Amino acid sequence: MKVTLRIRRFNPETDQKPYWGDYTLDGVEPTNSVLELIHRVKWEQDGTLTLRRSCAHGVCGSDAMRVNGVNRLACKILMDGIGVKDGDTIQLEPILGLPVIKDLVVDFEPFFDHYRAVMPYFVPATPPPADGRERIQSQAEREVFDDTTKCILCACCTTSCPSFWASGKYVGPAAIVQAHRFIFDSRDGAAKERLNILAEPDGVWRCRTIFNCTPACPRDIEVTRAIGEVKLAIKRAE
Amino acid sequence: MASLVTTITETLRYRGKIGQWSWVFHRLSGVGIVLFLVLHVIDTSWAAFYPDQYVQAIREYQSPLFTIGEFALVAAVVYHAFNGLRIVYFDYNPQLWHLQQRAATIVFVLTGIVLLPVFVLMFGHVADFYGEDREIAGLDELVRTQSQFLLGFIVIVVAALILSFLYALITGEKPDDEVIKRPSAIDSWFWSYMRISGILIVPLVFGHLAMMHIIQGVFDITAADHTVVGTEFVNQTGTAVEFVGDRWNYLLAGVAIWRVYDGLLLALVVLHGFNGLRYIVNDYANNRMVNRALNWAILYGGAALIILGMAALLAGVEETAAGIVEESITVVESSTFWFGG
Repeated sequence: MKVTLRIRRFNPETDQKPYWGDYTLDGVEPTNSVLELIHRVKWEQDGTLTLRRSCAHGVCGSDAMRVNGVNRLACKILMDGIGVKDGDTIQLEPILGLPVIKDLVVDFEPFFDHYRAVMPYFVPATPPPADGRERIQSQAEREVFDDTTKCILCACCTTSCPSFWASGKYVGPAAIVQAHRFIFDSRDGAAKERLNILAEPDGVWRCRTIFNCTPACPRDIEVTRAIGEVKLAIKRAE
Repeated sequence: MASLVTTITETLRYRGKIGQWSWVFHRLSGVGIVLFLVLHVIDTSWAAFYPDQYVQAIREYQSPLFTIGEFALVAAVVYHAFNGLRIVYFDYNPQLWHLQQRAATIVFVLTGIVLLPVFVLMFGHVADFYGEDREIAGLDELVRTQSQFLLGFIVIVVAALILSFLYALITGEKPDDEVIKRPSAIDSWFWSYMRISGILIVPLVFGHLAMMHIIQGVFDITAADHTVVGTEFVNQTGTAVEFVGDRWNYLLAGVAIWRVYDGLLLALVVLHGFNGLRYIVNDYANNRMVNRALNWAILYGGAALIILGMAALLAGVEETAAGIVEESITVVESSTFWFGG
C-alpha cells in the first residue's frame, strides 16, 4: 500500500523555522513499523532527514516521537497497530518540551538533569550481608516497585505532560517513576532524601493528575499511579 | 506567556485521552468561577455598605447577558465540583488509575444529567421574569458599570508589576528567567488544602446554588411579598437589600446560620480559587518579575476579598434593611387601616 509520511523538519543551520516535509512510500506492508518507513525515507529519498534510534526493538528508548499526535516509540508502532490504510498519511514530529537539535532529534540533557536530580541509584540501607550474598527481598516487597523498574527513559511520558510543556523546570513523570523505583525498594535507604527532593515546588506538586503520561508509556508503566504513590508517600513522611 | 501559548496550541494538537480534556475544562471552569466570585463578593458587600449600588448590581444581574452568564456559571460549578471529586478520588487511590477514563466520562455525563433539570428550573425563573413587562438594564449600562471591574483588575495588575519592578531595582536582582524560590511546604500544604476544601465546598456551594439559582433565582431576590429562601421572613419591599438583610438576620436557634454559611463558603472558596489562580500563574508566568507581581496580586487580592466579604457579613444590613422593613410595614398597616377595614 501507499503511505505518506508527514515529517516536521528543522535544520537550525539553514531553516528559520520548522516546516512539514511530505514523503510518499510505495509497497508499505501492514507489518512495517513507523521506524522502518522513516528509514526508507532517509535511505531512498532524503539523506538529510535526522533521527535517533539504536536497537529498533522497543528496548533502548531512543526513538520517541509524536506519531499522529501522540507520543510513541517509532519502532513499536506497526501500520496494523494504528489502522493505517492505503493512501493514509502518518504525521511525525519531535517530542515537545525539549529543545529540537535537528528534525526528530531533541536534546535530552534537560531530561537527564531531572533524572539525575532524584538520585536514581541504589543507596544501601544496610551493610552488605556477612555471607557475601545478596540482600534478601520477598516477592511481595519486590511487587511494590516492580512496575517502575520497566522504565527505559524514552521521555514519552514527560513530553506528553502539559505541566512539563508549561515549564521545563517541572521534574516530570519519568524522573518521578525512576525515583519511585528506589523509594519503594525495601533494600534502599535514601527514600527520605528522594521524597524531600520531589516535595520541592518543581517536584510532584506540579502534577495535576491529567493522565496524559500513562497511555504515552511504551512500556505500559502505570505512570500516574506511581506519581500518586510518591505524593502520598511524601504526605505520610511529613 | 510563551509557555501558555505553547500549552494551549499543543494541548489542542496533542491527541491525549479524555483526562487531558477534563483538565482543560477544570481550569477553564475554575477561572470562570473565580472571576464571578470576585464580582459577587464585591457586589454583595455593597448590600451592607452601599445599598443603592447593590440594588443596581442585582438589576444588572437580571439582564439577559448576565442570565446567560448565570447558566454558564452553574454549569461551570457543577462540572468543576464533579471533576474535582474525581481528581481527589484518584489522588488518594492511585492504584485505581485504570478506572479514571471511565470516571472522566461519567463526570461529563453526570454534569449533563444534573444540568438538564437544573436548567429547566432556572429557565422557569427566566421565563417568569421576562414574561412580565418591566424595565431591564441595557447593554450600555452593563458596559459602563462592569468595565469598572475590568479597569480595577488592570490597575491591580499594573500596580503589582510596577511594585515588582521597583522591588527588583531595590534588591538589585538580575533580570533573569529564574522564578522566585517558594518554600516547599507551601505547595504540599496547598495540595492537601485544595482537596479537603474541595470536598467541603461541594455541599456548601450546591446548597448555595440551589437556594440562589434554582429554588429562587436571581429574579426572585427583588420579588415583593416572597418568602426569602432559607428564612421565615417575607421580602416586604421587594428590594435586593432587604432580601440579603433577611437572610443574614435570620436566626436558627439563636445562630445567624446564613452568615455562618456564607462566611464559611467565602473563606473556603476564595482560598481555593485564588490558589488555583496561583497554580496557573506559576505554571505559565516564567518571568521572575511578572511571576512575583501576579503572585502578589493574588495574595493581597485574595486577602482583601476575604476581608471585604467578612466585613460585610459582620456589619450586616441591619440599619438599612431594618429601616426599609419598618417603613414598609407602616405603609402596609396604614393602608390596611384605611382600606382593609
